[in-house]
Amino acid sequence: MILGIETSCDETAAALVTEAGEIRANVVSSQADLHARYGGVVPEVASRRHLELVSPVVRDALAEAGATLDDVDTIAVTQGPGLVGALLVGVSAAKALAWARGLPLAPVDHLHGHVASLFLGPDPVEPPFLCLLASGGHTLLLDVQDHAGYTVLGSSIDDAAGEAFDKGARLLGLGYPGGREIDRLARNGDPEAFSFPVARLDGLDFSFSGVKTALLYAVRDLGGEAEARTADLAASYQRAIVRALVERTRAAAEREGHERIAVVGGVAANSELRESLPGARFAPLALCTDNAAMIASAGRYGRRLPYPRYLDLDAYASRT
Amino acid sequence: MPLILAFDTATDRATSALVGDGELLGERVSRASTLLADVDALVRQAGAHPRDVTGLAVGIGPGSFTGIRIGLAVARGLALALDVPAAGVSTLDALAAGSPGATPVIDAKRREVFVPGPRAVAPEELEIEPGATYVGDGAIRYRELFEQAGAAVPPDDDERHLPRARFHAELATGFGPVERVEPLYVRLPDAVEIAR
Ligand SMILES: [Zn+2]
Repeated sequence: MILGIETSCDETAAALVTEAGEIRANVVSSQADLHARYGGVVPEVASRRHLELVSPVVRDALAEAGATLDDVDTIAVTQGPGLVGALLVGVSAAKALAWARGLPLAPVDHLHGHVASLFLGPDPVEPPFLCLLASGGHTLLLDVQDHAGYTVLGSSIDDAAGEAFDKGARLLGLGYPGGREIDRLARNGDPEAFSFPVARLDGLDFSFSGVKTALLYAVRDLGGEAEARTADLAASYQRAIVRALVERTRAAAEREGHERIAVVGGVAANSELRESLPGARFAPLALCTDNAAMIASAGRYGRRLPYPRYLDLDAYASRT
Repeated sequence: MPLILAFDTATDRATSALVGDGELLGERVSRASTLLADVDALVRQAGAHPRDVTGLAVGIGPGSFTGIRIGLAVARGLALALDVPAAGVSTLDALAAGSPGATPVIDAKRREVFVPGPRAVAPEELEIEPGATYVGDGAIRYRELFEQAGAAVPPDDDERHLPRARFHAELATGFGPVERVEPLYVRLPDAVEIAR
């Protein structure tokens, strides 16, 4: 089995996955409540929490699978991109585990992890396909030709889609994380009540900073009436973001000749996005937000460093 | 035979040591990111195997937040994998043990230092004792201040400025579950300071 460890942002996670892609345990300890009072993830607060949780989540994953470390033959860990201080907690613990047990270590690219959430049982998606990765940290269109990697076709030049949801929720006085709140409220609102234009860039890139500003102005113009119109604002805002995601995703699939579309990342849980891309495959709900099962899954296909080649492995903040 | 693996990554220069039955078998100095390469070399050079390690003595700071966490995360991984107990040792205590009579001073960045207490203070606010000796990377950084006050700071390359891991092994007591070995941050995260 592969033991996966993920600590790149605000979820501390450990999972056990078989070589065949069966999830035996998937433990995620979310810090969302901890960061809610700051309206976003505070790196130092996140890193401190990761240290408190990193060994408990591994113990819990082993217990959930009814396994011991003797059953583990590879350690997979998120190496980046993400918050370096947070990543280093997982990378350091993973290196120590691998060294002490004489196991190989698979350093995993977090984005490849999200894609690999589609490769897990019971109903894996087989490449090639066009993949939309939309989360709080990333919005990317990926050409996935095989299990081992991807090519970036387009990305957000400013805010990520999930970040746009979070920031919009804050403007509307909703909780953090904001995606779920907006999705819930939007069901009772009129998505055509307000027009929030999303910038259309050349090629396959996204921009979500403008739509957030448009929402800000709308709330300001409404003044005291804004609160009564929250559902309409949420529905219209969600419509604008989803429409931009869907249009670009379809355009990318057409340009690259992909018949299959898949959606991963936290925003893949959004109900309107799911309804707007009927033929697409979506990551299972439990695997949309950050988790370690997807990291272990990616570890099945990426490079595995044998002892002692990982002893000086470092985390990285961004792909350069 | 008790075989204690000790390390401290709280300051810019990480130290590690292997102590067998009270005898120092090896000691290394490098950086936090290569701690496990050092640990590997120490264990191999002693003709031992990771599973021969019977306990961990770990520096808990104060120092760099990220540095402290690297050491404690490595300790958590090792303790989990080897099923061995761990004990935390203050980085200031290890420095003091390596230089009897001297006062340890760790660079806390942002124009502050960590001193016994432990607490973070501006170096100008320290009551420097004339004739006393100060060690640690904080003493090196503010050498002028200490020397002007009539105190002594050993040369920059003196090993007394390093929290050498052999002293962690010596000072470690109360070995237990690794989760009980907690970091000594001293400072709150910035965001928490602002939100208070
Ligand atoms: Zn993610």
